[in-house]
Amino acid sequence: MSDAPWLIRHVDLAEGPCELPASERAHYVVFWWRSLPLGAKALLPSELPFRRAQMQALAAGLVADQAAARGEGLAGTPRAGVDGIPRSRATLTGALQAENLLARLDRLSAPGEASTAGLSVVICTRDRPAMLRACLESLAAQAGQPGQVVVVDNSADGNARTVCDGRERVSYVHEPRPGLSIARNVGLAAARGEFVAFTDDDVELHDRWTVEIVQAFSDPSIDAVTGLVLPASLDTAAQRAFQLDLGGFTARYIPLVFDPGFLDETRHLGPQVWRIGAGANMAFRRSILARIGGFDERLGAGASGCSEDSEYWYRILAAGGTCLYEPRAVVFHHHRADWPGLRRQHRAYMEGHVAALVAQSDRYGNRGDLRRVFRQLPAYFLRTAALSVQNLAGWRLRLLAEEVIGWVLGLRYLLRPAWRARGRAAVAQVRRASLASGVTRHA
Amino acid sequence: MAYRIAELELSQPIEALTLSEAQEGVGLVARWRDRLVGFVMLPRPAGSTLTAQELEAIADERFAGAVMAAKAEAELQARWPAAELPAPSLTIAICTKDRAVRLARLLASLEAVRPGSRFARLEVLVIDNAPSDRSTEDAVAGFPQVRYVREPKAGLDFARNAALHAATGDYLAFLDDDVVVDRHYLDGLYEAWRGAPDAGGFTGLVLPFRLDTPAQIRFESRGGFGRGFIRTDFRKDRFGNALHPVGAGSLGAGCNMAFDRRLLLEIGGFDEALDTGAPLPGGGDLDIFYRVLRSGRPMVYEPTYAVYHEHRETLPQLRRQYWTWGLGFMAYLTKCRRADPELKARQSAIVWWWTLDRLAAVARAGLRGRWLELGFAWAELTGGVQGAMGEYDRSRARSQAIRERAA
Repeated sequence: MSDAPWLIRHVDLAEGPCELPASERAHYVVFWWRSLPLGAKALLPSELPFRRAQMQALAAGLVADQAAARGEGLAGTPRAGVDGIPRSRATLTGALQAENLLARLDRLSAPGEASTAGLSVVICTRDRPAMLRACLESLAAQAGQPGQVVVVDNSADGNARTVCDGRERVSYVHEPRPGLSIARNVGLAAARGEFVAFTDDDVELHDRWTVEIVQAFSDPSIDAVTGLVLPASLDTAAQRAFQLDLGGFTARYIPLVFDPGFLDETRHLGPQVWRIGAGANMAFRRSILARIGGFDERLGAGASGCSEDSEYWYRILAAGGTCLYEPRAVVFHHHRADWPGLRRQHRAYMEGHVAALVAQSDRYGNRGDLRRVFRQLPAYFLRTAALSVQNLAGWRLRLLAEEVIGWVLGLRYLLRPAWRARGRAAVAQVRRASLASGVTRHA
Repeated sequence: MAYRIAELELSQPIEALTLSEAQEGVGLVARWRDRLVGFVMLPRPAGSTLTAQELEAIADERFAGAVMAAKAEAELQARWPAAELPAPSLTIAICTKDRAVRLARLLASLEAVRPGSRFARLEVLVIDNAPSDRSTEDAVAGFPQVRYVREPKAGLDFARNAALHAATGDYLAFLDDDVVVDRHYLDGLYEAWRGAPDAGGFTGLVLPFRLDTPAQIRFESRGGFGRGFIRTDFRKDRFGNALHPVGAGSLGAGCNMAFDRRLLLEIGGFDEALDTGAPLPGGGDLDIFYRVLRSGRPMVYEPTYAVYHEHRETLPQLRRQYWTWGLGFMAYLTKCRRADPELKARQSAIVWWWTLDRLAAVARAGLRGRWLELGFAWAELTGGVQGAMGEYDRSRARSQAIRERAA
């Protein structure tokens, strides 16, 4: 198989089923119905040309899934099952009565009108000025401009300042204490909008991102929104391994509701809150801050490694809130380009994941979280090892070794009572701070 | 023990289904506006009734999505109609040996679909393979539109090559004598061709003809020959399947396949050393799928191009079938490794993968005390081991001997 960079190709099925011609390069094809993302498919060079009839058969399945998932109103949106897999609500009667599916997609993909003035966008960055610039350019090109943009520079020397200077609506905050959760909390404290959306410096935004985020909050019961993360490029083998073999960040194309029932139903198994979305594409109703505080500063990049986002969603669900995964809100993420980077990332992911499970277990006492640490994760390691051996996937075994190391590193948090005690205090502090600022700003 | 096979037309009001005292389940063939959309096996107590509500719940879970997709496809087709091409001609070849009753049943099912044919010309050939009596010839005489050809060299691929040389159609479809065709068999193949006129071959859905014995039920519940209800295109490589196209079994089965006849002639027809009959009745279909894909032409699996296959009746027959599959698969791999060194890495990887997979199946069945399953898995594994130990060369010698005897 060739090592040449893959082509990311966007196909609008509303234009009719076209043929993808023969090519020397492998394709990652993203299918859309105008602004509505429908699905993606990887194609090797020898799988091209991708014929019209193939396109039509594929389109039929994608259109059917989309039309079924987007019935009338949010009440019809699928709920997540234990694995974050949508519970099918499809009925034969519904399928038999469904008519004019294409017209329905035409309606669904019509541009929304939501005002984005009440949206604050927070971008946390650390030593990546070039990528931040691209991110800010994509923000400037939004169909709906946010009321406020906060860039939190987490570098030691404040090297992102020059990138932000002279940009309209962009306010720059330097926070030298390292840690993504710390930076995000600074962003939260500076945000004034009704909704706060987070994205990362290694991300470029689809031009309807802000509008779709605000639109997703149109149901007042929604406290948090997450969206689709597509690859910005698939140039290197490490990027392709992350997106195609490991599944990338989020890969579903139908909306999904995670409500307190999801937490209740999966409490005994360890709720798989990380299925809700990715920190590179998430937003919150700012009023949630007063109820549950800010991000846990023991977690996340620069601290335990990651999972500060999923731990936050856990708290939202535990407080009776609801999260909506809405794939219409699209961002493009630059994955780690080299194998050492991918391996470091996976070690950090696993360490951070275990740390978050410990934090969640301390906070809520659900046995399922520790059960995941000691039963489900080792079982996952064994399963992955067996499959890698059977498929002769040496690279996967090396990555797995990093994950096991990360797991062992994560176990250390269990043995650190001081670390575990710090959690409650920190959350309470942020909560008080945000309550105070909320009172003055709303006055 | 038997299962009732029942058709469920989803566009009509669903009615309750009652099982007889001898029936312990139902194999449900679902259609929407007569188009095949799903199949499900449902074990139930003998003599019980599946109420309309139960069937509706099953339809919600298993078939609603397929109905939506079929509707979406119809709408897409209406919004963007495809261009029409001049229809090709088709030869259907049935290779048979001493099974006149089953053959007559198949020919009758073919005569029933012939009037709706959209092919420019339709020819049906029966290849009588080293017959021991005149029964096949007599059976064919009852169908005046069917051409009879005798192939004295015993072996399925001798018969298939005889069909290749006797056929006149642009496309050549093969059917085993133990199937009958679905009422949309010809339409399904025609639609598959219309969507992919450049394809080198086509495979179709294989559903059970009857589920009257424990062996037949067991085989079908283990997946049978089913390859699902989604049209699929196959080419030289397949994303997400590093072993493709060496694991050619995922394309379909030899009892229901069709090819561009000129392409078959170009690539030299079927390998007569595979499918020589006992002890090696298998592998010829895998070999031809593999070679068509390696020639650069795609193959298409089309679910509405469907047949019903009469599965092995007894458990010893079924166990033997698993054994021959292991044997045939490894004999085919031996041949691949010799003939196509370019894909050596994939061929070696699949031997490793297959061996671990079957060992795991043996271990699982053993640990759970499922002795019947253990027998099947063990039969396939030992067949594979024997297949890897020179069976292809032994079979080549056998086929050479058959050729010399005939000359």
